[in-house]
Amino acid sequence: MELRYTGVSLGYQGKKALIDVEIRLKAGQRLALVGPNGAGKSTLIKSMLGQSEILGGTAIIPPRDVIGYVPQSGDLDPDFPVSVQQVVMMGRYRSLGWWRPVRKADRQAVAEALDQVGLTDKARNRFGTLSGGQRQRVLLARAIVAQPQLLLLDEPFNGVDAVSQDAIVTVLRDLSAAGTALVLSTHDLAVARDLADLICLLNGRQFAVGTPGETLTASSLRPVYAHRALDLADGRLVLVDP
Amino acid sequence: MIFRATIEIVLVATLAGMIGVHIVMRRLSFFTMALTHATFPGVVAASIIGVNLLLGGIATGAVIALGVAALSRRRGQNAAAATGVLLSGGFALGAALIATQSGFSRDLSSFLVGSILTVSDQDLLITAGVLVIVGAVLLLCARPLLFTGFDPAGARAAGLAVGAWDVVLLLTIQVVVVTVVPAVGTILALSLIVAPAAAARLWTDRLPLLTTLAMLLAVASGLAGLAVSAQWNVAAGASISLSATLALLVSWALRKAVS
Repeated sequence: MELRYTGVSLGYQGKKALIDVEIRLKAGQRLALVGPNGAGKSTLIKSMLGQSEILGGTAIIPPRDVIGYVPQSGDLDPDFPVSVQQVVMMGRYRSLGWWRPVRKADRQAVAEALDQVGLTDKARNRFGTLSGGQRQRVLLARAIVAQPQLLLLDEPFNGVDAVSQDAIVTVLRDLSAAGTALVLSTHDLAVARDLADLICLLNGRQFAVGTPGETLTASSLRPVYAHRALDLADGRLVLVDP
Repeated sequence: MIFRATIEIVLVATLAGMIGVHIVMRRLSFFTMALTHATFPGVVAASIIGVNLLLGGIATGAVIALGVAALSRRRGQNAAAATGVLLSGGFALGAALIATQSGFSRDLSSFLVGSILTVSDQDLLITAGVLVIVGAVLLLCARPLLFTGFDPAGARAAGLAVGAWDVVLLLTIQVVVVTVVPAVGTILALSLIVAPAAAARLWTDRLPLLTTLAMLLAVASGLAGLAVSAQWNVAAGASISLSATLALLVSWALRKAVS
């Protein structure tokens, strides 16, 4: 698995939304996309799914069938009558096709994925009855059952409680250790520092890419968050409203 | 006559309950309302030129379904507003077409509230055929329809053509609407399609059970409405529609009482 962007510009309907993207990710690496709202984090993730346009540069992206995607659970209708088990099984649809009966191996994979995210006891519950953090874990389990080589996560910690955040971080570390490359967008600098091997700073263009030590510094972050003053307190990064 | 009407309402109500679940799940009730009204001019035009009403309804309904699907995919377009305009525009076009035909206006009510008591053997065969086709489509396409309805972004990322599946569902809804309209009418079709599914949704989260319950409630509403119509000489479409509405209201009240 290799993901490589060289001088890439991205956008929609020919209009650029993000420029100068230079990233290289190998199996097992964890990349966090950091930047304010509208910075282009989702555009970059969508480009890996073929849902935004590559308007310049060279992009080497793994085939679609080895890429997993975890959307934000808040975008989904909580009233939709679908069980946790059914949602996770959707991750097997690609191999099952439209109509092939569910096999023992599929049920086993779903059970294992739910166990991995700590939600075995919720398997028969309706998805919408779970908390935001639990829903996010279900969507992670759905991605896991497809055994992706590259996993993309769109703001996986938004509206997530501490227990679920810890559970998600643990699963992501395990996946990474098993060779799955991860790309996640986040506003949370502490999570990015804790979880990622590589950080990509974005705001309309790529400002920097490197290790957390290289990128999560006041001098690197200040231009990315131009509308806010940035300060360091007790070694931690703090974004302060102007 | 009443025997054929009974068979027809069982077939039509089964269809309505089956598709109603998808309409309720995806919150497409307003779109379906617009579709019932937009079908109206096609049915009237078909009647005027002497072709099968089903074909006329399918032709105009397909244009509307595809138009709404295209609109909902465009950024910045208000699909709900467009659907609303289509609702009244379609109905107005149907009324205008009727007005061009002298002596035609007295038949208006049969389009508006249906005429299930006049169904022919050919109508029964067509409805049965549509039921088999729609049942097969919903069964064979259950997985992609479920995935794209629940999580379009996730489904798209998994390689499903979400727009194409939306069109499949909208066209299936449209075929059902066109089949239901002659029985219960343009104005009243929505209640038979949506009310049983909405009532069933109050009782279960499980999709197979929800679908079965919606079909049973729709058939029960249809038969009850037909019986009321025969007993008290009420327009069949209206009594069927009222029965379906009553099923929803009773379910809602019972659910409130239970919880």
